[in-house]
Amino acid sequence: MNNTRKGYLNLIIRVMAMLVLFAGAVFILIPLIWTICMAVKPDGEIYTKNFFPTKIMFSNFSKAIKSIAFFKYFLNTVKILIPNLIGTVISSAIVAYGFSRFNFKGKRVWFLILLATMMLPGQITMIPQFLIFRQIGWVNTTLPLIIPAFFGGGAFNIFLLRQYMSGIPKDFDEAARIDGAGHFRVFAKIILPMCKPVLTAVSIFTFMGVWNDFNGPLIYLYDSSKFTLAIGLSFFKGLYTSKWNLLMAATLIVMLPILILFFVAQQYIIDGISISSGTKG
Amino acid sequence: MKKDKKTVKGKMSAAQKKENRYGYLFAMPWILGLFLFTLIPMIISAILSFCNWDIVTGIKTIRFVGLDNFKRLGTDKEFFQALKVTFKFCLISIPLYQISSLLIALMLNMRIKFMKSFRLIYFLPSIIPVIAASMIWTQIFGEQGLLNQGLKLVGVTGPAWLNNTKTSLYALIIMGIWGIGNTMIIYLSGLQGVSEELKEAAGIDGANALQVFFKITIPLISPTIFFNVIMAVIGSFQYFTQAFVMTKGGPLNSTLFYNLYLYTTAYKKYEMGYAAVLAWVMFAIILVFTLIVIKSSSFWVYYQNDDKI
Repeated sequence: MNNTRKGYLNLIIRVMAMLVLFAGAVFILIPLIWTICMAVKPDGEIYTKNFFPTKIMFSNFSKAIKSIAFFKYFLNTVKILIPNLIGTVISSAIVAYGFSRFNFKGKRVWFLILLATMMLPGQITMIPQFLIFRQIGWVNTTLPLIIPAFFGGGAFNIFLLRQYMSGIPKDFDEAARIDGAGHFRVFAKIILPMCKPVLTAVSIFTFMGVWNDFNGPLIYLYDSSKFTLAIGLSFFKGLYTSKWNLLMAATLIVMLPILILFFVAQQYIIDGISISSGTKG
Repeated sequence: MKKDKKTVKGKMSAAQKKENRYGYLFAMPWILGLFLFTLIPMIISAILSFCNWDIVTGIKTIRFVGLDNFKRLGTDKEFFQALKVTFKFCLISIPLYQISSLLIALMLNMRIKFMKSFRLIYFLPSIIPVIAASMIWTQIFGEQGLLNQGLKLVGVTGPAWLNNTKTSLYALIIMGIWGIGNTMIIYLSGLQGVSEELKEAAGIDGANALQVFFKITIPLISPTIFFNVIMAVIGSFQYFTQAFVMTKGGPLNSTLFYNLYLYTTAYKKYEMGYAAVLAWVMFAIILVFTLIVIKSSSFWVYYQNDDKI
């Protein structure tokens, strides 16, 4: 008797949860579906009440691409992205190896500083960094957006990799060391290949970080010929304030690579976020 | 005997020397970066906060002004407005986002059908570039936008949400709910670490679902709540792109977020000294708040094992 009542209660809670989740999912999806609909609407339907377009205008996408220097912005973004990926992956792995494999003097203090910098708001260093880069003539070039990646690639990535490397038993290293391999060989041939999943996560986060970065290019790049996609899109918004169909088409194009990446690699992203919060490790 | 000990000790320190050498060698890129991009800039920023410098005229015009920049804070109306906007945003958005993302995580953790698809959908907005999300929501909140078209169906004429001092900040808060997927994932991951046996044991002892939630689940995920709240405060003080793209801080400074004011001071007015002071004030506020949360955490955060960093 008691059990069946509990069963009913359980069922009711589950059904309720399902309904709430469904309503929430609708709230999340409507703006996205609507963005897609707006992107293919003919000019005359931008301000009409109908949610769906009566005629699908795929030409909006090519119009949007032609209205701004889209390919240029795309290339500019990629030119920042690739060095960032290389610099971040290599340097964060090297540093993480140092922290996970050697008991050097002061390691604890350095590691605490590393964790502390994760909490340090970038605004503190933003202005003096800008002044330094300006002094050495790097403003209005992509160098300030690239070079820092080669110096450790960000505390978060080092932390992520160190946690993972610390989980790899030292027996692997020692076996290789007995066979005569040096530390650099052990790092490159044994540890790095075993870190593939977390290196993938680091690459994905770097990709998303660079692709979505707005603040950096905004501060450092002045010439419109050097804009990235994110900046180009906000520039585009200023030019075509009422052409919402073209604006939404452009927005979708900018989002597309990130969406593809997300659907391909969602598990890496979700795991990476969980590890960073300490709920999984 | 004695000699032996000495050689062992000597060997140990040789091994230690090797550890030091390799450890620092591998950690060097980050240590260099720490000095170049964090510590030296922090020192410059500290010096800068006692100086006046209009960057356009070059480094020669830098002038030491003592505490003038700090005194200026007291009479700067925009500074207080920026604080007000950011604190208001914190006070409303943090409870709202934390509770709703925790509730969604709880429901997703019930092992219901389509759990994976739901998780995907809820997480989706938080990977969308902020600039793209800002574009989408600018249109939604427009006078003829999606929201007002929806409201018209029920006979309500909505305002131009982003151009109205009464609604602009709330519009940004609503937009933020859309992106709670990140926080939700962290809660979900925390909830998955709560042992089922513990909850079942409490159930057998006669605790109802609410009691299990408040007496078992909440204490066990309190470190996660702790993490999320601190990150949310830091995030509120760094809030920038949405305000910059959607409202430019307006109308009438009703969405002048702290970071936006900082940006304007540094890169529109070129007042680098005063901007450095604004950055340090921001740092102090975040630090004080984090310390309060950490100090109070011994009352409400429960760590299962003490050695957790």
